[in-house]
Amino acid sequence: MEKNGKPNSEDRKLQCSDVSKCFQLLESILDGEMGEEGKEILKEKLDKCQPCFEHFHLEQAIREVLKTKCTKQPVPNQLADSIRQMIQESK
Amino acid sequence: MSESQRRKYTQEEKNRIFDGEFMPHIDSMYNFAYRLTFDEDDAKDLVQDTYLKAYRFINSFEQGTNAKAWLFRILKNSFINEYRKKSKQPAKVDYQEVETYYNSDDVDFQGTTDLRAESVKDMLGDEISNALNALAVDFRTVIILADLEGFTYEEMAKILDIPIGTVRSRLHRARNLLKDKLRGYAQSMGYKTDEEE
Repeated sequence: MEKNGKPNSEDRKLQCSDVSKCFQLLESILDGEMGEEGKEILKEKLDKCQPCFEHFHLEQAIREVLKTKCTKQPVPNQLADSIRQMIQESK
Repeated sequence: MSESQRRKYTQEEKNRIFDGEFMPHIDSMYNFAYRLTFDEDDAKDLVQDTYLKAYRFINSFEQGTNAKAWLFRILKNSFINEYRKKSKQPAKVDYQEVETYYNSDDVDFQGTTDLRAESVKDMLGDEISNALNALAVDFRTVIILADLEGFTYEEMAKILDIPIGTVRSRLHRARNLLKDKLRGYAQSMGYKTDEEE
């Protein structure tokens, strides 16, 4: 079975030597906290390590669904107006 | 606060800042408030209070700094000080859970590998939302700030009054807890996990 729809997955090592450290690092990279250095580390990890590859894509998928499915709470119609009104009254 | 600071902005400037920099964040603010309180009326009150405070203390807002982070900080503090006590859905923190996760380094990844990216993408909004809502408030908050609102670790540190290192570790643990919840859904809904392969 082709696991991730990408070639070369057979070239990746199947065990990550330091899962805890690697996954935290990947999360920091996904959070945009590692800058340019992050991009290089990421490429290296994704090319060479299957657990890192999978963890990265899982984390990315979770971020995407959170962003698309948990931010649409409809704001009550009159909220903005009532805030403006309360501020007018407080002046 | 010095006298000069207190009188920093003219009435016109205040209105411009309020309308131009504060009000555009009302959707994010309401979403955050709703996910903290789980109640539409409480969320409305919390957002309203936050904006009133923002206006009252507008002179301590520095133009050019991140208005959204400043507002989120006020909202978070209002929630802790006022709403947490009276919230209809008690925002109970499972301290056992918190302590376990804060104090251990190696509970991290057991059993997280069986959740697949494809399963997560197939999940419904309700499942994702319920999983997020099921987290203790401290963990839920960091996920909201980072993943829903896109705050940096530094901004989150300021909003939550905690060191950046704590932001990083709390976020990491929150994500592991969220994955636990999502894995539960994946399995109960018959989504594909590695165990079935």
